[in-house]
Amino acid sequence: MKILIADDSRVMRQIVIRTLRQAGHAGHELIEAENGREAVEKVRSESPDLVLSDWNMPEMTGIDALDTLRASGSTVAFGFVTSEGSDEMRARAAASGAAFLIAKPFTPEAFDEALTGVFASMG
Amino acid sequence: MTALAPELAQQDLETLVAQVWSTYVLDEGPLPAPPAPWNDASPCWSSAVSVTGAWHGMIAVDLAESAAVALTRAMLAMDDDEEPASEDLVDAVGELANMIGGNVKALVPGPSGLSLPVVGHSPLAAPSELAPTLTLDLTWRGTPLRVRVLTAGSRGESPTAPPQEMLP
Repeated sequence: MKILIADDSRVMRQIVIRTLRQAGHAGHELIEAENGREAVEKVRSESPDLVLSDWNMPEMTGIDALDTLRASGSTVAFGFVTSEGSDEMRARAAASGAAFLIAKPFTPEAFDEALTGVFASMG
Repeated sequence: MTALAPELAQQDLETLVAQVWSTYVLDEGPLPAPPAPWNDASPCWSSAVSVTGAWHGMIAVDLAESAAVALTRAMLAMDDDEEPASEDLVDAVGELANMIGGNVKALVPGPSGLSLPVVGHSPLAAPSELAPTLTLDLTWRGTPLRVRVLTAGSRGESPTAPPQEMLP
């Protein structure tokens, strides 16, 4: 699987990569984006299987990136990794077509549960 | 608990900080009651995020230089003798406020928006209409660490821009 990690924080991208490894998902090809606009561009140019995206980013937010992708016909699996895990945010993420929302601080178990569900749905 | 932030209790803030530390720093978390009062003249790093909307406030974190370096090393899994780059310090200290602030936002009435973090290499001055309503004075690795929640006196005011970013 190819996974795109979108977060304006390099520190958080590194933590996500480390957590993926700790969750038993070390073998995937990982690519990175620093904001939503770059994530949209890399979904189009790199065709990842899954996007793990922060919500609040400069240039373009994660939810705007997801809406842009869906409006253009992309069905790429998309999950949020964000510090904002309110019911309102979860509902908005789901309404836009996100598969899951993992709230920071997160655990490897939370990643494993979310990714296993997404990969299972891909067959 | 205070009258200005009734939705948020001191215990909630302590729990959030402990969760961040146990998850990302993998170290004994900050403890209450610093050995010495916070000295605003001490070299420190500060970061803050603003919440604007149905609830209006700012969440700010102040930590000593050595604590900021240790936090950055832990978050980036660096060795103890590695010196983090300045941009990594800004990034890690900002992410600390972002995580705590995002979780605070989930505990207070919405809808509201969360700003991107601002980071300073000195204490950040709060906008004049905001006053501290919750303050955690903690100790981590022998240095003071402070988490503040500042709120406006009444709700429904126009959003306030976060303080200007101040880089070292």
